[in-house]
Amino acid sequence: MRRIVSILVFAVALTVTGAFFISARPHAAQPAFQLIVNEKNPVTSVERKFVEEAFLKKVSRWSTGNLIRPVDLSPGSAARSQFSQDILGRSVAAVKSYWQQLIFSGRDVPPPEVDTEEQVVRYVVNHGGAVGYVSGGAVANGTKILTVR
Amino acid sequence: MSIRGALLVAALPGVFLSWATPATAVPLGGDDDESGVVEAHGFISQGLIKTTGNNYLAKSKEGSFDFTEVGINFTTHPTERLRLGVQLFANKLGATGDFNAKADWFYLDYRWRDWFGIRAGRVKLPFGLYNDTSDIDAARVPVLLPQSVYPINNRNYLLAQTGVELYGYVNLRAAGALDYRLYGGTISIALPPPTPSVTPPPRQTTELRIPFVLGGRLLWDTPLQGLRLGGSLQVLRIDFAQLFAMTVAMPPTETMPEGTPAKPAAVITGIAPVVLWVASLEYAAHDWLLAAEYSRWYLKVTDSSDPTRLSNATLPTSERAYAMTAYRVRRWFQPGVHYAFFFPDVNKRSGPGVVQHDFAGTLRFDINDHWLVKLEGHYMHGVAGVSPALNNNLSGNALAQDWVVLFLKTTAYF
Repeated sequence: MRRIVSILVFAVALTVTGAFFISARPHAAQPAFQLIVNEKNPVTSVERKFVEEAFLKKVSRWSTGNLIRPVDLSPGSAARSQFSQDILGRSVAAVKSYWQQLIFSGRDVPPPEVDTEEQVVRYVVNHGGAVGYVSGGAVANGTKILTVR
Repeated sequence: MSIRGALLVAALPGVFLSWATPATAVPLGGDDDESGVVEAHGFISQGLIKTTGNNYLAKSKEGSFDFTEVGINFTTHPTERLRLGVQLFANKLGATGDFNAKADWFYLDYRWRDWFGIRAGRVKLPFGLYNDTSDIDAARVPVLLPQSVYPINNRNYLLAQTGVELYGYVNLRAAGALDYRLYGGTISIALPPPTPSVTPPPRQTTELRIPFVLGGRLLWDTPLQGLRLGGSLQVLRIDFAQLFAMTVAMPPTETMPEGTPAKPAAVITGIAPVVLWVASLEYAAHDWLLAAEYSRWYLKVTDSSDPTRLSNATLPTSERAYAMTAYRVRRWFQPGVHYAFFFPDVNKRSGPGVVQHDFAGTLRFDINDHWLVKLEGHYMHGVAGVSPALNNNLSGNALAQDWVVLFLKTTAYF
């Protein structure tokens, strides 16, 4: 009986430890999202506050003078959820409320929303001033990863 | 009011949603593909009001569906810096509205720099944190914003002005940012028809004109993400005419030894300069919202055409404030509470008819990204914000001082 219990405890410990390493390793290696811009954009790093202001359309120009064109993923995506919490400091639903205020008071409209990360990449590739985000491991050919300070 | 009726309110937007579509297709092409794209957004709200004790906003003691809002807007930007927009809005709230669609706002907006832009047209008034968004049910938790600072009955006076607005967002680097708006223009007012009443009011406003309104709002986005502090100031002039009812002669009394003579019904005109200010604090971070505002409104009457019946005088300063909080528990569920007070005369803070304390609780259910339902209850102490016209022109003393307001409201939007 004691042997069976020992095996069970060992198995549970092994499972928990394994699960921890399996979930932790990729998480440590890859961020939940990465910020991407058009590869012709000379900007290489920005402050978090600037990204927040760009996605909330409080600022409209890059330091080069080009128009900033933010693009969002659809509300259900994990990358958007993490981006919203980390960069905008609020949940996706709270950001949607913010945009309802601006839309119906006539002040501005939200960035375009696309369904897939491939569409984000395509948007960024095709628009010189675009900025978007994709999940940490996503391949984003034709774009450049922006460092957030 | 039957449960069936209440369910009908909640289900109404389903019909609307059947034709609601995303505002625009996302242009994935080149840099010029977004110029000239027209974005369309709209909403439909239907509410049910039920009160105990007093009628509030509508004939609500029996339950009232006279609480409807419909809006649709179109915006476009022909060039990178220029935007155009218009919103058509129709509503019904008690005796006001009657579903007459009108241009709620329209503008051309030239954003020269982030720190300087100009709008011309009919523009929502930025007074306090939420005045310019007070029509937008989807953008907040409560059905009614705190009525002491954002009285829905004053919508015609306080919501939008026709003129110009200067605005900008100034980055202060480590010190945060400043968001400013300055405006000047006029306000056109369509008075609601008089409410039928058993007891005619001693006087009734027959004409209102606001030849100018000037003001501004300054909000400081502090370095603490989500915390905003600010203040708003608004100065306007109201030119008005009031119909005074005929009065009978009163015999002399101890307090009035000469008595008062009989007077015929007459229209008396006057001018009312008004100054309003509000101090604001908001913390909106992650799923929390905390907001508090404190306001005072100053009003006087000048240039009365008959000072014996309408004296030129400074009227009492009113004091208004609220504190509100809400928390998003789930994507689809957000409860909130607020407390608001309203003293029409800052020097009289107790007594029947001269105060209103409002304790409110709201449950907001987001059924999906385009449809929500809200349930809200208010416990009211005092009647300072109650319209006598809806309550047979009874004085504040004669109304119920402790009463309850319930709202069920549903909104669909895209």
